Amino acid sequence: MSVQNIYDAVVEFNIDKVVSLVEAEIKIGTDVSEILSNGLISAMDEVGQRYSEGEFFVPEMLMAAKAMKAGLEVLKPLLSQGESEKKGTIIIGTVKGDLHDIGKNLVSMMMEGAGFEVYDLGVDVDTEKFLATAKEKNADVICMSALLTTTMPFMEVTVKAIREQGLSFKTMVGGAPVSEDFAKKIGADGWSTDAPGAVETARKLTAK
Amino acid sequence: MEFTKLFSQSEVERVHEASLEILENVGMMVRNQKALAIFAKNGCQVDMETMMVKFPREVVEKARKTFVPTYTFTAQDPKFDVTMPGDRPIVVTGSSAPNIIDPETGEERRATSDDIANIAYLINELPGFDVFSISTLADDAPEGQFSLSRFYPALKNCKKPVRSNTPNMDDLKAVLDLGALIAGGEEEYRKRPFINHHYCPVVSPLTFDVESTEAVIYLLEEGLPVYGTIVPNAGMTSPLSLMGTLTLGNAEFLGLATLTQMIRPGAPMIYAVLSTVADMRTGAYAPGAIETGMLQMAHTEMARYYNIPSGGYIGLTNAHSNDAQSGYETGMNTTGALLAGADLFNMGGLLGSLMAFDFAKAVIDNEIALMLKRMKKGFEYSEENLCLDLITKVGPGGSYMDLDHTMKNMRTIAVLPKVATREMRRRWEDQGKPDAHSRAMKEAAKILSKPNKSRFSEELDAKVRSYFKGLVAGDAKWGI
Repeated sequence: MSVQNIYDAVVEFNIDKVVSLVEAEIKIGTDVSEILSNGLISAMDEVGQRYSEGEFFVPEMLMAAKAMKAGLEVLKPLLSQGESEKKGTIIIGTVKGDLHDIGKNLVSMMMEGAGFEVYDLGVDVDTEKFLATAKEKNADVICMSALLTTTMPFMEVTVKAIREQGLSFKTMVGGAPVSEDFAKKIGADGWSTDAPGAVETARKLTAK
Repeated sequence: MEFTKLFSQSEVERVHEASLEILENVGMMVRNQKALAIFAKNGCQVDMETMMVKFPREVVEKARKTFVPTYTFTAQDPKFDVTMPGDRPIVVTGSSAPNIIDPETGEERRATSDDIANIAYLINELPGFDVFSISTLADDAPEGQFSLSRFYPALKNCKKPVRSNTPNMDDLKAVLDLGALIAGGEEEYRKRPFINHHYCPVVSPLTFDVESTEAVIYLLEEGLPVYGTIVPNAGMTSPLSLMGTLTLGNAEFLGLATLTQMIRPGAPMIYAVLSTVADMRTGAYAPGAIETGMLQMAHTEMARYYNIPSGGYIGLTNAHSNDAQSGYETGMNTTGALLAGADLFNMGGLLGSLMAFDFAKAVIDNEIALMLKRMKKGFEYSEENLCLDLITKVGPGGSYMDLDHTMKNMRTIAVLPKVATREMRRRWEDQGKPDAHSRAMKEAAKILSKPNKSRFSEELDAKVRSYFKGLVAGDAKWGI
């Protein structure tokens, strides 16, 4: 029943409690993937759900993601021993010329919360860096964010480069000025209005 | 006209002091190498490794000494030049939306250079607008002409001051080449630089970016007009209190102003902001919220303390159509700002939180602009305007309808709206119950279906087109 307590602690965004509960579960030998799936990840699904219904505000979603991440950090050394399946690898960053990263950071945390392996390249990221990191980490999806309308064209540059080089990475775009039409027009594989939606889209794109 | 005051003198001074404390103790992160060097050379404590800059208070106070109280927008046609604060309120279009509401279908789509040509012509003709800030991007821009595809149709069709930004130095230089071509040489252009550059070089909280900062430095060094807007978003990039966001934004303004005055002492500036409070339910950006107007009023009070012109993106809306929300958000926020003494109103034509231009919104905003200008003109207090002699002459029970005085004033004393209806209900019903949106679209069509007399001459256009190969057509045309 204590995995349920972890779930509750994430939904209450109590970081210390999540960490101590995860530690306690590991100590008594609970299956690590059970802690991950039924404790942490399903709690974040609940958080995303509550946000979508308007019950949770953005800061609550962010705090829950932080609590989830703290629990994940405790689990990580054990997970890398191959006890849990990998959900997929995400490369994320704000595009060249743009320093706005609040939305991107939230998506990044929610992706981690959903169990993805996330490499956040920060802000002002050019195509070369997106592609080099994606190749190095054998990524599934490259996620690009922009707030300025004038930096949106850099998303298209990266999508084109992936095509031209015959690479198989999927792409997702997001940020206040990005619309579904824009995503389609530049040939991106995915798009979302908000962070929980981005997680859903990434799940679809990485479904094997 | 006395301006609305939100703070006592000691409260204003405390906000200034607190801003100095932020700059001195917290500092700003400066991601641009040239800016770091300029700050280091002029007395700031600069850590080249971490890019952190701390501003001793005397450095900021020294910069303040060279602030100037006026700012001029220069136009291609000198009759459209405007200077703040004398010509306040200066009404400007909102800029750089990616989309447009298609005037024919009413659906949102990506905007093109042809749209910019139409918008430029419309703004040239609408008397409420003083400056055309290029409203949209141009989705049809040929490769390498991202900014030319915006500035060319804008300058070709609008003789009022044109304002916008560029995403990088190559684009900026191409746009300046275009200006020189139009002016008949670089030297001529510098005498009357009619492209008015604007950037948001400060990314809240407390960070100078790379590209915009580079452009600002270049333009200041070249002696060309440029100013920046400070854009904190409470709950996201600034504290979730109005006072905290005012103070952080004020510190950021002082940081940018200090850089400006270090490069060119006496360079004209505008204390321009788009300070907002995020909708914490979803994180949505809320420039139409009433708090945007309140923050503008407070920033304007700070600008008055520094004796420089103020304003910003005020009068935006989150509404997606010309509905009641669009009207009350633009109307309430601009009214507040005007009463507080703001000079510059980047307010016209955009729906959906800066996402899409709409022709009818621009026409409605023109009417709001005329109302704001009327408010600013005020009561014109004078003995003569008390009209005591007239009141005596007409006496109780008479009429003022047939007086010379009335005839003299009837076209000027009140705003005579083209969008707002004053019809009796029956007549309005007979007309098909047109709402504000459809009345405004009619006004737009009336203007845009006539040829643009302010367009470039054929010779000039041929010169520009042979210099920049493959330019978009850039002509206003209205097919509806």
